Amino acid sequence: MASDRPVLEARSRLDGFNADRERVLREVERRVVERITARAADGGDASLEYVLNDVCVCEIKRLEAAGKDAGRWRELAGRLGGLSPAALAGELRHLVAHYGKDIVGNFDPRVYRFATKVLTPGLGFLFAPMQSVTGGVGGLLAELDSRIQVEGPLEELRALAERGTLVVTPTHSSNMDSVVIGLALERAGLPPVTYGAGKNLFTNPFISFFMHNLGAYRVDRRLRFELYKDILKEYSTVLLESGYHSLFFPGGTRCRSNVIEPSLKLGLLGTAVTAYGNLAAAGGAHKRIYVVPVTINYRLVLEAETLIQDYLAETGKSRYIITDDEFSRLGRIVEFLRKILVHEGAVVIRFGRPLDPLGHDVDDDGQSRDRSGRVVDLRSYFVGADGRFRADEQRDAEYTRLLGRRLVQAFPRESVFHATTVVARAVFDRLCAAAGTRDIYRLTRLPPGREVPVADVIAGLGGLRAQLAARPDAGRLHHRVASAGDAATLDDALRALGSYHRHPVLERRGDVVRIGDVPLVYYYQNRLAHLPVEARP
Amino acid sequence: MTATKGDTVGIVGAGSFGTALAVALARAGRAVVLYSRTPAVAQAIATTRRCPRLPDVVVPEAVRVVESPRELAAAARFLVIAVTSTDVGPRLIELGAVVDGSHLIVHAVGALAAPDDVRVSELIERATPVLRAGVLAGPALPGDLAAGRFASMVVASAFDEVTAEARRLLNLPPALRLYGSRDVIGVELASALAGAYTAALGLADGAKVGVGPRAVLVTRAVAEAARLLEAAGGQARTFAGLAGLGNLLVRGASADDPDYAFGQALARGEAATTRPTEGARAAVTALRLAERKRVRMPLLAGLAGVVAGKVSVADAARLAADTVAAEE
Repeated sequence: MASDRPVLEARSRLDGFNADRERVLREVERRVVERITARAADGGDASLEYVLNDVCVCEIKRLEAAGKDAGRWRELAGRLGGLSPAALAGELRHLVAHYGKDIVGNFDPRVYRFATKVLTPGLGFLFAPMQSVTGGVGGLLAELDSRIQVEGPLEELRALAERGTLVVTPTHSSNMDSVVIGLALERAGLPPVTYGAGKNLFTNPFISFFMHNLGAYRVDRRLRFELYKDILKEYSTVLLESGYHSLFFPGGTRCRSNVIEPSLKLGLLGTAVTAYGNLAAAGGAHKRIYVVPVTINYRLVLEAETLIQDYLAETGKSRYIITDDEFSRLGRIVEFLRKILVHEGAVVIRFGRPLDPLGHDVDDDGQSRDRSGRVVDLRSYFVGADGRFRADEQRDAEYTRLLGRRLVQAFPRESVFHATTVVARAVFDRLCAAAGTRDIYRLTRLPPGREVPVADVIAGLGGLRAQLAARPDAGRLHHRVASAGDAATLDDALRALGSYHRHPVLERRGDVVRIGDVPLVYYYQNRLAHLPVEARP
Repeated sequence: MTATKGDTVGIVGAGSFGTALAVALARAGRAVVLYSRTPAVAQAIATTRRCPRLPDVVVPEAVRVVESPRELAAAARFLVIAVTSTDVGPRLIELGAVVDGSHLIVHAVGALAAPDDVRVSELIERATPVLRAGVLAGPALPGDLAAGRFASMVVASAFDEVTAEARRLLNLPPALRLYGSRDVIGVELASALAGAYTAALGLADGAKVGVGPRAVLVTRAVAEAARLLEAAGGQARTFAGLAGLGNLLVRGASADDPDYAFGQALARGEAATTRPTEGARAAVTALRLAERKRVRMPLLAGLAGVVAGKVSVADAARLAADTVAAEE
């Protein structure tokens, strides 16, 4: 149907956000209050008294655990039983407005231009040690260009960003991901995105200033009551409906084991489905939302030691948004950027083919296509037996699961493997074969200083190359690895893994490679964990 | 008054089950459209009101018979796929070109789909633009449906809307009662395995093993099927429901059930001359799945061996005696 074809919706979205802020907030408030009030008619857990009491109990618990005064909440909890339905609705409106204001982001185009043009690229210029760069600002740009590579169907994505709303969904393995993805978007000529960031990240005034003005909205993960989650999801939904390009890390927290996310947290991702359903219901079926899988592929991960220790101690907690305290320390970013400057091709950000919110492939014309390649009418998935739009949360949750499944398939396919990854995998395979186990807990108890013959590692690299060549769905080698020989790749990886971390992870000693840190070898090779172990010839 | 597309049930396949379901629905006053890819069958029903696959039953005038999938898709939003596992692939490809995202599809195919052993719900997703899909299974024999005798089935879908629509359109109290489930994998596999074990029961009865060994066969079938369901991502307990045990108890006591009759033919040593049924195919394909999932299924292995003519009935019985397991 011609009228449903995606059309040009071009406008500089976030540029206009500040003027639009109040409308967004009011819309969020209106929807949440209407929904909760309508549900309240069912009574029980859905009653306004219960919903408000849930907020009070959680707030009292949170504040008193922190030694703070929760008098306001105790007072409200005490009054709830005696309030009329109208007064309860008033309290609800008040709370929704309160938390909405706490969440709402900001976008200052002047700060964005400052960060991307004057501090080009992104925050990098500010943090990089000037003396390490020859050639002034131009030299620095060239330096960073060679270290941060952006690839994928960028031209097509730029065109889609004009036609519809992008939801950028990267893999998440480092605290630096949000900085790196910000740089990558700018490099790719893609528009800035809004994203949820942990409230604790806003504690550093400097970072807070940038985050606040670069489109981040605040997410307070200490607030565990349903009302807050409702407001947060509605906020994201309204942003998407309004055409603000967004970013979610669908894996949740940084992936501690470094495997490519095998499962996703679907909470905020589901707002893409809801937003499209709402647009279609309001006659805006042509206003498309495009979900873009992105992989962030590091040659070396700054906090690998902490992450893998966390993982092995099974202390990794699932979190949906960027919250880590390490990130709020400016020093960590500086350290990261300094280290990145000495490693050529340090990060590859690969953008994948876009999907629609139901997980269909999207063609260059912005149309959704089914698995047989037919153009599908996206609106038809939202209609009921009477042919009209039908709201259905369970259906939408299922569509979100389908989208999640497609993203999980896209991530390995769009991954790029550095020398560090393939060499770690080749070494790990040989270590496991010699030890007779792939159980990491057993491997870490092996006597220190295990060695594997260089010849075996080289043979392993050859096998991995062949496997990856035969399986395009499993990812691709970094172009430097692809064009280098196995011996050069080994040397390259040993140089990186021998010097970056506190202790050498791998070292060459004559005809053998000595393993200095089994957990880190495991960590780096995990990026290829989806590739089956081949029987040794 | 003409029924709306949303209130019409479309059935793909004028075999015994598809026709019986159409008859039962029409008798209850539901709008139903029946599609047969074989023009002779469609014309026979349209002119004589008799289906060659269910000759004793009069097909009510209210059952509209169509010869093109496009007509079917235009007339009905809710579609039931009632064809064999060997036919389901081509039918879905054909249907894929004429349905859209607004259609709901449930299939009643009791085996994994040929040629590559996929579950039919996976095939629906591959071959058609439909996402809201599910499976229909259970002990509703065509004869019971057509005669209006009480029967029960389960409809499983990840989408509550599909289950609700199936119950709205297919529930025919007091004759047909539909239960709902979200365990699509479990119900699909249970339905396929029930056909295989029905053949095994036919074989056991044909070999006159007696009631004790028959009971052991049924209970061990429940145990090994549950293992496969769980390994494949379904719920173990689903096999104890209508699609699994329910199917097995009814079909394993029905002399005219094709799978049961096939098992009896095997017992008579007629494996080579008997055309494999859905249950026979399910035994072979489910065993391949079990091997991939590393699930031990001695009963199924025995049956599949006999079906393939590689194992004698006596050896299958020894295999089925399962000398490895120590615990129930």
